[in-house]
Amino acid sequence: MSSAGIQGVAGSPAVAGKARSDFRRVIVFSVVALAVIGVAPYVLDTFMVNSLIRGFLYAAVALTVDVLWGYTGVLTFGQSAFFGIGAYAAGLIFTHVGFSLGYAALALAAGVVAAIVVAGIIGWLSFYHGASPLYASVVSLVLPIVLTQVIYTGGEFTGSSSGLSGFESFDVSMELWFWVAGGYLVLLTAGAWLFVRSDAGRILIAIRDNEPRCEYLGINASRVKILLLTAGAVVAAIAGYAFACAQMVVAPEYTGFVFGTELVIWVALGGRGTLLGPVIGTLLIDTSTSYLSGNLPFYWKLIIGLAFVIVIVAIPKGLMPLIGGLFGRRRGEATVEVPTLVEAAATPFAGLEGAGRLAVELKGVRRHYGSLKVLEGIDFSVKRGELLSLVGPNGAGKTTLMRCLSDGYERSGGSIHINDHDAARLPPHRIVGFGIGRKFQTANAFDTLTVAESLRIARTRIAGPAFFSREATLALPKAALQVIRATGLDAVMGVEAKHLSHGMKQALELAMVLSLEPSVLLLDEPTAGLTKPERTMIGTILTDLVRDHGLCILLVEHDLDFVREISSRVIVLHQGRIVLDGTVAEVVESELVRTIYSGGLHAPAKP
Amino acid sequence: MIATLLDIVTSAAILYAVAAGLLIVFGVMKIINFAHGGFLTIGGYSALAVTKLGWNPWASLVFATGIGFVAGMIIERLVVKPLYSRPLDAILATWGLGIIIGQLITIAFGREVQFVQSPMSGAIEFAGASYSSYRLVLVLAATVIGVGIAALLQKTRLGLVTRAVIMNEDLARGLGINSGLVRFFTFSLGAALASLAGALITPLSSVDPNMGVPWLVNAFMLVLVSGVSFMSLLVATVVFGGAQVLVSTYVSPVLGGLTIVVAAAVLMRVRPQGFSRE
Repeated sequence: MSSAGIQGVAGSPAVAGKARSDFRRVIVFSVVALAVIGVAPYVLDTFMVNSLIRGFLYAAVALTVDVLWGYTGVLTFGQSAFFGIGAYAAGLIFTHVGFSLGYAALALAAGVVAAIVVAGIIGWLSFYHGASPLYASVVSLVLPIVLTQVIYTGGEFTGSSSGLSGFESFDVSMELWFWVAGGYLVLLTAGAWLFVRSDAGRILIAIRDNEPRCEYLGINASRVKILLLTAGAVVAAIAGYAFACAQMVVAPEYTGFVFGTELVIWVALGGRGTLLGPVIGTLLIDTSTSYLSGNLPFYWKLIIGLAFVIVIVAIPKGLMPLIGGLFGRRRGEATVEVPTLVEAAATPFAGLEGAGRLAVELKGVRRHYGSLKVLEGIDFSVKRGELLSLVGPNGAGKTTLMRCLSDGYERSGGSIHINDHDAARLPPHRIVGFGIGRKFQTANAFDTLTVAESLRIARTRIAGPAFFSREATLALPKAALQVIRATGLDAVMGVEAKHLSHGMKQALELAMVLSLEPSVLLLDEPTAGLTKPERTMIGTILTDLVRDHGLCILLVEHDLDFVREISSRVIVLHQGRIVLDGTVAEVVESELVRTIYSGGLHAPAKP
Repeated sequence: MIATLLDIVTSAAILYAVAAGLLIVFGVMKIINFAHGGFLTIGGYSALAVTKLGWNPWASLVFATGIGFVAGMIIERLVVKPLYSRPLDAILATWGLGIIIGQLITIAFGREVQFVQSPMSGAIEFAGASYSSYRLVLVLAATVIGVGIAALLQKTRLGLVTRAVIMNEDLARGLGINSGLVRFFTFSLGAALASLAGALITPLSSVDPNMGVPWLVNAFMLVLVSGVSFMSLLVATVVFGGAQVLVSTYVSPVLGGLTIVVAAAVLMRVRPQGFSRE
């Protein structure tokens, strides 16, 4: 986060201390782990050392599966393919070109670049606005299948089904490979541990909990996932390269989807979303496999399969949290860190040239579902400083209109401009960039994030997160702070959002949307389920925002008293059309509105 | 030319028979049953058991269907039911089941490739070309399966209830429909259909403990591009099955094997609703 945006005093010592102790824990853990790895080859037998080299490299790939699946919710069967790409880069170049230090570096570079290119293509295929998580899993399954077939067709060049072996490689001892692979795994685990606990790491969890909401908070979730996949691909490719160099053999199985699913099994058994669980799970299962598969070949695989099914059904979090619970590792969780709230410098129209001529402009907007016309011929424009209420009976198209305003894919026809920017066919995170902030009817943003974390997610677009640490302060715009203080949210900053009362959840949603510093605020029933004093307070905040900051607010509301108190203008929707557009007084006195609300009018009438 | 055309028709029929059970489970339960390949394998080995017992090869169809149905009933209660609310976990658990089925079969029958007696052999003259008569029988079998499912869904009370659950499970439950029972029956039916398909296809090739996997992947892609419509599935199997045959015949068999997965993945990227009409 840039410190330029922070006006208040910096950091509470408690948080800074906690963050430091995190860092210290990682250092201590890494040093201990590296020391154990340093000594191990002198204690263990050759077979074990050899197994563990492979186990370390597999575990590095399992880590990428855990970050993608456990933390971000992207179930992937395809990380084996990237491992295979790295391995084949080494195998192919050492076999067909030869081995030297220069060629070794070239092979590594080729493997990494190939992995990046493939990950980019797979990411583009898998992650786009509106893609289903199932589809991404499907593509991740297709990748290793295709790759394996490509290797089979390669004939002598790729060694087909028997792979490549007997090529020259680094002339170093097995101990050195043990240290290299072990060191790689420890560094990766430490880095991943810091990353997932950092402010940026919370974004992954936000995407897992509620990806659409991330989009509406201006976060390009697809891009985050593509970047993550690419980083995971590079990690896996390097592991595969090291594997090929150390074992001097590559085979199609190392790219295949059976290996890809094994990685998922190891992660699930160890405990998804724990990092250490998958590492330990992989090391234990892989070394056990090399010992036991000789003695009980079919039964061992059967046992793994059974254990996997039982864990998925009965212990979905895996074995790590169970073991952690036994040792009382949970004590650290009692003190949840809470950042200090400070006021951020106002950055209205962040990323825009300035305020538009009109805040919102709709021309001929239509929305059809098949032959059902939910919206038809919607034309209106709103200036800055207007508080426009959309009213109408259920099914009039109010929420659909909100959806069209915040997502360029939603409407069937017509044009929408936000601050003079064409909404075109743009996804929500781009439209947020034009100044839209949308508060949803249902308040259920991110279940497993705390109030403070949720608010920081909402600031991502403007402030940008820290990648390997946590900020000690949370800078929010004035309006958001007002809501937080008036509703008492500041007292529960460390509480997970799912534990809040309904009213508090609504307040948090509003504070999150205000944290985006929108210039056009869309509110879908902001007062639903709130008490009278809470309603009055929200009404005051909204009118203040319009008056002091020139915001444009569009409000969908059923409570007509609330509408009357705060609106400067009202649009009445009925059966997908605008039937009235005027001041509060005009609408209140309208016979038409009374008829509509009493259910007397069925055919759309001309205003 | 005629032979290629017949290849397309019979390939589409085989794909349809294999994918139908997966589609009905996906439609009702909104989960992809990765144990489908395992059920297919069960069907293949049921046919092998019939051969080994010296029964009439046609009996394998009934036998496989029954075994598949029972296996489906057991697995639905033990594994699938607890995962209704976790669809991605259901994929994983059913994948694990596939591994377990494969290993149990390996332990019982051995891991080697084995051959099943075909119910009928020989070729018949068809439009001037000589063609495997068993492959033509498969077209008939796929038609029977397709018509049977359609009749079940359209003409019976169970079908009506099932369609209600497919369209809106919450509403159906609110109307007093026991959706748990619908799911139970659907999963068992899906397993039975997979097993039947396994028994149907084994005379064309052979059985081995992993025979279900390549079929699973293709069937899975076909289901995803079909939405929850059996008509769309028919279109998808004809188009993709046809593409597979053409690529295998005129380009390369290996690429032919990849045609369905790659084409389906790309199709879904550019047209997420696939072959269904939105």
